[in-house]
Amino acid sequence: MTLWSRMHSWARTILQRSRVESEMDTELRFHMEARAEDLIRSGVPCVVALRRARLEFGGVESAKEECREASGASFIENLLQDIRFGSRILRKSLGFTAVAVLTLAVGIGASAAVFSLVNAILLKPLPYPDSNRIVLPELVSPPGVSLGSEYFPWGQSQFRMLTRDAHPFQTVAAFQNDSFNLTGSGEPVFLDGFRASAEFFPSLGISPALGRAFAAEEDQPGHEYEVIISDRLWRERFGADRNILGRAVELNGYAYTVVGVMPEGFAFPRAEEMPSSFNFPAEPQLWVPLAIPAEPKPGPSELALIGRLKPGVTIAQSQAAMDLITKHAETQDHRWIGWFNTRVVPLQRQVVGDTRHPLQLMLGAVCIVLLIACSNVANLLLTRSLARRREFTLRAALGAGRARLIRQLLTESLLIALAAGAAGILIANAGIYFVKMLGPANLPRLREVKLDLPVLAFALGVSLVTGVLFGLAPAIGAARENLVDSLREGSQRSGGSRMTPRLRNALLVSQVALALVLVVSAGLLTRTFFRLLGADRGFNAERVLTFQLPLPALKYAEQNQIVTLFQNMLERLRAIPGVQSAGIGETVPMSGEGESTVIRIPDHPAASLKETPFANFTVISPGFFAAVGTPLLRGRDFQETDTTDSMPVAIVNKAMERKYWPNEGALGKQVGPGSTRFPLLTIVGIVPDVKHTSLREESAPEMYVLYNQKPWPSMLNMHVALRTKADPAGITEGVRDAVHGIDPDLPLAKVATLTTLVDDSMAQPRFSVFLLGSFGILALLLASIGMYGVISYSVLQRTQEIGIRIALGAQRRMVFGMVLGQGARLTGLGIAIGIVAALGVTRVMASFLYGVRPTDPLTFAAVSLLLLGIVLLACYLPARRAMRVDPMVALKYE
Amino acid sequence: MTKPIDLLQGTLDMLILKAVSLGPLHGYGVLLRIQQISKDRLEIQQGSLYPALYRLEHQGWIASEWGESENKRKAKYYRLTAAGKRRFQAETEKWNRMADMIAGILNTTPEEV
Repeated sequence: MTLWSRMHSWARTILQRSRVESEMDTELRFHMEARAEDLIRSGVPCVVALRRARLEFGGVESAKEECREASGASFIENLLQDIRFGSRILRKSLGFTAVAVLTLAVGIGASAAVFSLVNAILLKPLPYPDSNRIVLPELVSPPGVSLGSEYFPWGQSQFRMLTRDAHPFQTVAAFQNDSFNLTGSGEPVFLDGFRASAEFFPSLGISPALGRAFAAEEDQPGHEYEVIISDRLWRERFGADRNILGRAVELNGYAYTVVGVMPEGFAFPRAEEMPSSFNFPAEPQLWVPLAIPAEPKPGPSELALIGRLKPGVTIAQSQAAMDLITKHAETQDHRWIGWFNTRVVPLQRQVVGDTRHPLQLMLGAVCIVLLIACSNVANLLLTRSLARRREFTLRAALGAGRARLIRQLLTESLLIALAAGAAGILIANAGIYFVKMLGPANLPRLREVKLDLPVLAFALGVSLVTGVLFGLAPAIGAARENLVDSLREGSQRSGGSRMTPRLRNALLVSQVALALVLVVSAGLLTRTFFRLLGADRGFNAERVLTFQLPLPALKYAEQNQIVTLFQNMLERLRAIPGVQSAGIGETVPMSGEGESTVIRIPDHPAASLKETPFANFTVISPGFFAAVGTPLLRGRDFQETDTTDSMPVAIVNKAMERKYWPNEGALGKQVGPGSTRFPLLTIVGIVPDVKHTSLREESAPEMYVLYNQKPWPSMLNMHVALRTKADPAGITEGVRDAVHGIDPDLPLAKVATLTTLVDDSMAQPRFSVFLLGSFGILALLLASIGMYGVISYSVLQRTQEIGIRIALGAQRRMVFGMVLGQGARLTGLGIAIGIVAALGVTRVMASFLYGVRPTDPLTFAAVSLLLLGIVLLACYLPARRAMRVDPMVALKYE
Repeated sequence: MTKPIDLLQGTLDMLILKAVSLGPLHGYGVLLRIQQISKDRLEIQQGSLYPALYRLEHQGWIASEWGESENKRKAKYYRLTAAGKRRFQAETEKWNRMADMIAGILNTTPEEV
């Protein structure tokens, strides 16, 4: 039997129904006329021949019906009939339909919204051609060595080595972030950008929308004064001028020629797509050539790499090739030994980063909501199918087959599911809107989230699957009915078959259990959130204004120029009315990871590579701790009397003291940068651990040094912190004037209050709590609706029994208690099962939690009580109805 | 003339396939052809012929097209498809095996047991 011929005849049946019918008529008429002619030829009189032919043929209409059935028409007919009948039935009981559709729509909408996130972030390929070939070759710390960050920056000579020998790559490029002060046309602006080698854009496979990428000869020292700008910068700063190519702009005091404008939306690499320790800017606005000399001098550099694999080369092959190169390097130069460990990471995986787990958590949570919604609708349908028993019995008695009855019920559930799917898409659309509005800025690819074809297909698929899922139970229940018994019982009130209440109770218990799992998870996350807010953060964020002060390297080439600038500036800032204290620091709290550096501790020389001491090395001015609200635990703060000529001093945090002087205390001890070219410093104070990236971070050792004691790092990119007496927003203008009073070309970057920085860092946990909390509330709502439905129905069923009880003298209070008890028993069972399930689930959540154990008894107890309370509340109305049953009415009813 | 016998369940399809395998026929022609081959010993319910034709067409064993009958009238002609031909051969083989087997069983004498 060929599929094609079936499809063909079905299609004919549906599309050309009238033609098929008329052809059938013609064919049968021809048959009878031909027969009549034969009869006449054999001597039958003309008058009776046609009649004889008709009689011989038999029932024409029934033959036609059989023909229609044989050609597949009946399948379509029945389906159309089922749909017509189903939608009439659903329209007739609008209340039921509305509740079922709405319940399911919420489930489908929520899961489609979460799927849109998963799809955009985890599933969709990156918006670069052949993006699966783009990789990040990373330099990582030797196994077992912890230097604060897992990543090492690449050196220039290492990069040259790769471009010479790296055969797995079609192209490989280096890039490093830099900030650019755009001057000349209007107010100076501070722009984040990258210095990138010529292969950078080819590695991504993206060319500028306007103009061209860098040529190889531009990527050489002395020729690098070309710039490619982002679409956004082009629109905002240059009015989308198409004649911009070739125009000169002034960046950090040098004249650069604009050679290209990138396509809209291109901003690689964004901070959230790269390891956070790289401290990359949120959204780069321009790119200039990196210009590494052909024979680079060894020395520190801050490169990151990106490569495009040759077609057909796997990650494992490229890793093997990289290992060969590093092995070779180690034989060439013994200084590389142990320090040249690479890892090739697909760009897609790097971009997804740590968001995979939170997304999986959300997906799990929304699945629970969907399951609860399904079991709720299944329960509704089950209850209703009991009320429709007479209808089905009658239809069965009139000859409807079991399959036909099941099909009718399934058609109805699918109609509900599809209506819910349509409504769910609207809900998903609203959900996506909120997610994009509230979603944390550091969620990668959030801007790519939309209601697209895969999401629509997902919603449709979920609708169909759920439709079959919740439709099957009542359908099978109905098909099992015993015809004779149901007809005889007749009344809708009597018990129903024994299986259905058990099924309904099971569904209810599972709803309660699922809701408990979800709400416990949401509860643990909420507790985590507040634990984080209350965590010891090492600073006081209230009334602190911070900004970044990038200095042009040309103008401030000497360190003493910078020291003088800062001294003047601090003086002016402190003079602003409303400023309580002012300080300058390399980083302010919550503004990103500090620089981790190898240090030396004369007391404890490192015995091996693995014990090399390291610390975050932070340059500050006196007054910095007062400004950000970090208290001195022991010893003294930096003072104005600590100068270039006095004893070099340092302040360390608690983590550093605990790590390097666990028993003797750090005060008075000596410490210095790794290189012996710099003098040792004496520790004069201990401060608490200041959090840098998030409130949940494990603090690393950190040492503070004075800006005017010839510190080793450059001070071209410092932050200023001001503690104010009132709202910090009011003094922004005064601050700007004070800075520009000293140097009108200095841009103030990233002006923000410390509270905002803390808030931003909490965006992701807040988002998780918000989503999971919403799902938890939905689950509670659905579970209580389910409980209300089942208990009300059971009270309705037992009206007669309750009437008899009351007539025989049962106390109304006891009846009330009996109904509540029924609900409580089911809930208790659900809670018990839910607790066991939650204990398993929350263990997986451990990495999301902070300051609260996955088995936190308080959360479990509170959620159980909450659930019990809400569900009993849902039982209250039916219980009151049961209490008020009038025995006379109840008994007469039958 | 012997009394016509009723058709065995399920054999009508095979007879139709056989009839149209000899050349395209309209519905009435199928009836005449079967009666002619069976020398009028088979009684076919005319009303049951058409559902069978429609079923065979739905399953793809036969195909139909409109043509002109011998007395210049519009008639629907059925012919065997390639799939139908294979099906017919398989069915014939099955039928013959079955018939042999049943005949063998029915002809068994007490001595042979």
